[in-house]
Amino acid sequence: MEAVLNAKLFTRRLAGRRVAVFYALGALTLFLVILNLCIGSLSYPVHQVAEGLFHPYENSDLSFIIWKIRLPRTLATVMGGAYLAASGLLLQVYFRNPIVGPFILGISSGATLMVSLVMLTSLGLQLTYITPFLTTIAGCLGAYGVMILVVAIAAKVRQGATLLIVGLMMGYLCGAVTSILTALAEKEKIKGFILWGMGSFSGFKWIEIGIMAFLGGGLVLAIFLLSKPLNAFLLGEDYAASMGVNIRRFRLFILMAASALAGLVTAMAGPVAFIGLAVPHMARLSFGTSDNRVLVPGACLMGAAVTSLCDLIARMWLNPVELPISAITAFFGAPIVIGLLLKRGARM
Amino acid sequence: MPEPKSISQPPLLEIKSLTVGYKSPIVTGISMACGRGLFVSLLGANGSGKTTLLRTVSKHIKPLAGQVFINGQSLSSVKTSDLARVMSVVLTDRSSVPMLRGLEFVALGRHPHSDFLGRLTDADLSVVEKALESVKAADLAERFIDELSDGERQKIVLARALAQEPKLMLLDEPTAHLDLKHRLEVLGILRGLCQKRELTVLAALHDVEAAAKVSDLVVTIKDGRLTGFGPSEQILTPEAVKELYDCPHANYDSLLGSLEMAPDGRAGRAFVLGGRDTAALIYRLLAKKGYSLISGFFLESDLDAHVAAALGGTVFSFKDGENPPEEKFLAESLKELQNAAIMVQGPAGGPLPDLRQRLVSEAKNRGIPVLTVGPDGDLGPLMASLKKLDDGQGLIKSAA
Repeated sequence: MEAVLNAKLFTRRLAGRRVAVFYALGALTLFLVILNLCIGSLSYPVHQVAEGLFHPYENSDLSFIIWKIRLPRTLATVMGGAYLAASGLLLQVYFRNPIVGPFILGISSGATLMVSLVMLTSLGLQLTYITPFLTTIAGCLGAYGVMILVVAIAAKVRQGATLLIVGLMMGYLCGAVTSILTALAEKEKIKGFILWGMGSFSGFKWIEIGIMAFLGGGLVLAIFLLSKPLNAFLLGEDYAASMGVNIRRFRLFILMAASALAGLVTAMAGPVAFIGLAVPHMARLSFGTSDNRVLVPGACLMGAAVTSLCDLIARMWLNPVELPISAITAFFGAPIVIGLLLKRGARM
Repeated sequence: MPEPKSISQPPLLEIKSLTVGYKSPIVTGISMACGRGLFVSLLGANGSGKTTLLRTVSKHIKPLAGQVFINGQSLSSVKTSDLARVMSVVLTDRSSVPMLRGLEFVALGRHPHSDFLGRLTDADLSVVEKALESVKAADLAERFIDELSDGERQKIVLARALAQEPKLMLLDEPTAHLDLKHRLEVLGILRGLCQKRELTVLAALHDVEAAAKVSDLVVTIKDGRLTGFGPSEQILTPEAVKELYDCPHANYDSLLGSLEMAPDGRAGRAFVLGGRDTAALIYRLLAKKGYSLISGFFLESDLDAHVAAALGGTVFSFKDGENPPEEKFLAESLKELQNAAIMVQGPAGGPLPDLRQRLVSEAKNRGIPVLTVGPDGDLGPLMASLKKLDDGQGLIKSAA
């Protein structure tokens, strides 16, 4: 029995299927984006929304709602979802561990700590002149502070598992300080802080959108361009090294890129749970591969779609009360991931 | 492009007074050189530094002293990305990759040859195809590798290393955790690649029997130094193997390429009348039960002579073309019979039938149990009688 293998044909067949999944996901994302622009406390038909989009300076309710509220929010959701997914994917590949997410290294805990400092204490009161960006700046400082620490430690330790534990401990440390601050805080301030901690894509300003698009877009592009060495990492560091990847440099790049993306989103939208952990799995299963040349754009697109859907639900389910997005992402996402994995025979 | 073979061509792999280790040296003063198309086995006990040596040659760790040359170029001066086109590795790492098909996994081996984005050309794909075919794994191309068995996955792992189109392949225990069938298959594939592709294989193996059968050259490491390097036929002598693994109870037969566990004699001595290649299994059975052996009477070239010698004990054998010294045998075996707990008659008779007859009746006279095997050499009856003896002894012991 001679097995006949035609690698070209098979590769073409796989590529065909993947392109089809890309188109389907792209269409879904576009559809959700349009839905997010149309639906809200006030809903508009598509053609009116399009009109509002094309006449940004018209002084109407529609134009205001679209350009000041819904469009920034929708764009932030799409980018936030994409970046968290890319960040999670990077760390899952690096640690070769399926239950790793972007916040495993303590990024969100660092951000939460700094935000708790400004939201729960009177520290923020003296800084009124930057008030609108106060939590964002604090979140940024916290996230990148932790990132710098983790990367500095990563340059010293070789074992991935050690680094994971360092990240976990970092999270506990920051969490400890945050809980002390919470215990000492005034009652009224706590609700706002807790809600921040569950993430939201509302209230994005255009400058934030710009920063997010510029920095995050650049990082995602860099990650895509490095998907070849990232693929070598699928086999582990030793194999990657044997194929000519500069391990030290590339390890730092992975950690920095993943933390920078997660930090960017967390600083602006709070710690949005679950997307970074689950979306890479959903992408892997729907594209049927671990090839990062497919998965980097694939996970980004999947992240954008899933986060858009979750934000839509968060806004509309108990309208006019808006639910925290982390509640929705976990509530709907977790069963989907479990289901997909069970269908695939529970292998990760 | 076949390279012209000339005397001036440097050896593919050359190691010059190399010291390997992490912070402190593990193996020192390693020197060796080998050319193309050879299977080189690296032998040594666990923890002797085989893996450390391999990791040094693969440039994962820096040598503490000395140098490694690949194709005449010093390892320290070759860029790892260039090295990857000449040398590939197979590590012991068993972790799998989820959601990756055999073909995609093997294609990862094209890394050093493909462009910046890792796009595969038709030429790349045909290399991948050939790699899969040469490890007989073409049928695994479309399957997800985390669904494969250990043996199947190891073939895919080999194919990936082959897809790098290396001249030198380093393997760390490539057959550990494989069953017998796949162990033989993997070693056979590697052996074939050496011959067909002029690939040189440097493999750390734990199985000295397998190494003896597949290697052109062997390197032995013990006590922090290289103790032997050369053709396996010359290096793997019974004494050298015993010495290498520090095991006085195991005896290696270089002709059969088999390792036998010498019995400790806790059950007493068994006098076995073997010969005509029929008693090897009886020897092993008795050795397992703890009998040390006295055996005879056969040619030195008889299979029984090899196995009996490897298991230790007294062996009565004689050279082909010589007259067996029957009288001397009789005198000595009567002496040995005094210490024998049992006598076992092999299935085939054999040389010196009168002497055998004499010894059997002598044993019976002295009350030594004489055990036999069933027709066609069936060991069942022998095992049954041994068990009975064992139980009887047990009874006596517990009564006492």
